[in-house]
Amino acid sequence: MTPGAGGRRTPRDELADATAHGGLYLRRLVRAQLTLSLLALVAFAGILGSLPLLLFLSPGLQDVDVAGVPLPIVLVAVPLFPLFVALGWLYQRRADALDEEFRDLVER
Amino acid sequence: MIAVIAVSVVTIGTLGLGTWAVRFARTTSDLFVASRAITPWWNAAAVSGEYLSAASFLGIAGLVMKLGTDALWLSVGFTAGYLTLLLFVAAPLRRFGSFTISDFVEARLGSPRMRLLAATIVLGIAGFYLVPQLKGAGITLNDVTGAPYWVGVVVVGAIVAVNVGLGGMRGITYVQAVQFWIKTFAIAMPACLLLIYLGGLPQRDTLFGQGIPRAPASGLTVTLDSPHGVTFPRAESYTIAGEQRVAAAGEHVELPAGKLVLPPGAAVPLGAGGESGPGERWSKPVGHDGRDGPLFVYSLLIATVLGTMGLPHILVRFYTNPDGPAARRTTVRVLGLLGVFYLFPLFYGFMGRALAPGLYVTGETDSVVLRLPHLAWPGTPGNLLSALTAAGAFAAFLSTASGLLVSIAGTLSYDIWGRVRGGHWTTRRRRLLFRLSAVAGIIVPVLLALAADNLDIGVLVGWAFAIAASSFCPMFLLGIWWRGLTARGAAVGMIAGAGVASAGIFAGLITGDQAGAVGALLSQPAVVSVPVAFISMIAVSLLDAPDPVLAEPAMLALHAPEGLGLEQLASAPPHLAVPPPLDAPAPAGMPAAAAVDRQTG
Repeated sequence: MTPGAGGRRTPRDELADATAHGGLYLRRLVRAQLTLSLLALVAFAGILGSLPLLLFLSPGLQDVDVAGVPLPIVLVAVPLFPLFVALGWLYQRRADALDEEFRDLVER
Repeated sequence: MIAVIAVSVVTIGTLGLGTWAVRFARTTSDLFVASRAITPWWNAAAVSGEYLSAASFLGIAGLVMKLGTDALWLSVGFTAGYLTLLLFVAAPLRRFGSFTISDFVEARLGSPRMRLLAATIVLGIAGFYLVPQLKGAGITLNDVTGAPYWVGVVVVGAIVAVNVGLGGMRGITYVQAVQFWIKTFAIAMPACLLLIYLGGLPQRDTLFGQGIPRAPASGLTVTLDSPHGVTFPRAESYTIAGEQRVAAAGEHVELPAGKLVLPPGAAVPLGAGGESGPGERWSKPVGHDGRDGPLFVYSLLIATVLGTMGLPHILVRFYTNPDGPAARRTTVRVLGLLGVFYLFPLFYGFMGRALAPGLYVTGETDSVVLRLPHLAWPGTPGNLLSALTAAGAFAAFLSTASGLLVSIAGTLSYDIWGRVRGGHWTTRRRRLLFRLSAVAGIIVPVLLALAADNLDIGVLVGWAFAIAASSFCPMFLLGIWWRGLTARGAAVGMIAGAGVASAGIFAGLITGDQAGAVGALLSQPAVVSVPVAFISMIAVSLLDAPDPVLAEPAMLALHAPEGLGLEQLASAPPHLAVPPPLDAPAPAGMPAAAAVDRQTG
């Protein structure tokens, strides 16, 4: 971190030297990405994981029809797939943004 | 006859196109890969094309028809696996640049011995996954030509081995992408046309399980090739081999070979393993206990959601993504494409219950996708549509089986034989070794497939997922996100997880169907084996001192965004560097295009 003849040291140099600072930047990025992934996982596992329990605990749903099809079958076969895409899309946007922030930081 | 032609066209077409595309890709690698011209949509279709196997095309429909709506969870889990892959693996793995599991293990954990262990588990998973593909080939060829089951298994096993040995169909992106659309068309088109022809869903009460499957108004004739045990759900009179008989409700009867004739409206007798009887149990996605209880459903979901990232032939496909963000975009699109595809197998499963009840008698529910069109729509249109689904099924298992065998042959020749013998290999010797490995690698799966003609395709694939989820999934998750993972920890965890999963599966095979929680755990052990793998991996790693020289550069390579010039810093210490294989046959399933790309940088 000594201001040397080469002018101001950028965070990129620090990373390149694998100094404590560089390690810190990377650790921060990894932690942010992991937090994001775990949050998305909690949402995903919460929804997917509660569905079997819901169907198990409320057998009355079997008698509810949606367009002639019993509700439990509809619940398993249809809404989960668009939900996966939506969750994946939201995650992808946010993860790309985190990468972008890191890039800005390093190239500052 | 039409079906024979359709299947031949698909087979010759895929093999020819694959061989041609490999040559083309070799000579124009800049255009294809180095210039990064492949968009996320093409990549996503290619991943889906490689992924949709006999299990998706035939197995899910067969299981829905046979066991009921609890099989719907299979299609959910098969898709959801890509969400966990997206969240934790896709971008870091692309940045790390290892696309075979063995490469990743050696580079991240720095232990050549780990490579051998990973290679062994890859062989187990790919072999388990290959068996149901060959079973699909056997029943499809039997359905189309009437040839015995074993002929299909052996013939297609030979075709795939020769094809892979000659270097055809090495997972070229465009071929696999086209395969996806062929499969989707082949399963969606007949379904839509049938729906229009029938004017909506017929026999709703039978379709969704409340009613039992009954013989149609014209009666039902089933030809039994061999003596066959069935259970009659209701008291019925029937004719077998010309002899009039009566069965009591719930009676188990050993029928001799011959023609079984059931009067109109008769409740259809069930072969072994069918659970379509009262309808009540069939129609519930989550049953009370045992093979469709909550424990089994959760175990199946864990296996499929976590197992996808451990499939060797799928990870290889992520190589053609130019960078981490592109790998993410590709995976999101895979989720969409698979979601569309998986609507259709369910349709065949439900319709089969109402319109193809004869399959319950013979127990051939795995072939409902092939039979339904011509049973529901007599005459030429139905035959044409059946030919289309048969062609799609062939496309499904040819592409998946080839991808798997490339992984097996690469692992055998490069990771195992190459390591055991050591030394330098000439290109010619490597190529010869790869070919021998392709032949050797198909023999065991063919023998297993011959023995497994009573096991459901969907169940077999579920086991491959269970082993992948209990070995490679924890290794990837911890290896990518935790600096503290050590080689010894990973080894102990993978052995423990894969060991518990395989032990459960084999115990289940030997003891047969068990009731209650034991039955659920033996038929799908992931709910136990996955935590065992994670806990032992973490515990042993904590006892070891992690190697910072290894972990820090790996973290940089896995997580640093591209374009910052940080990649060079990330290279592993020289003594650990994995020499890049320069010539085909590439190791462990690396597509030829990818191998070429490595040369060009």
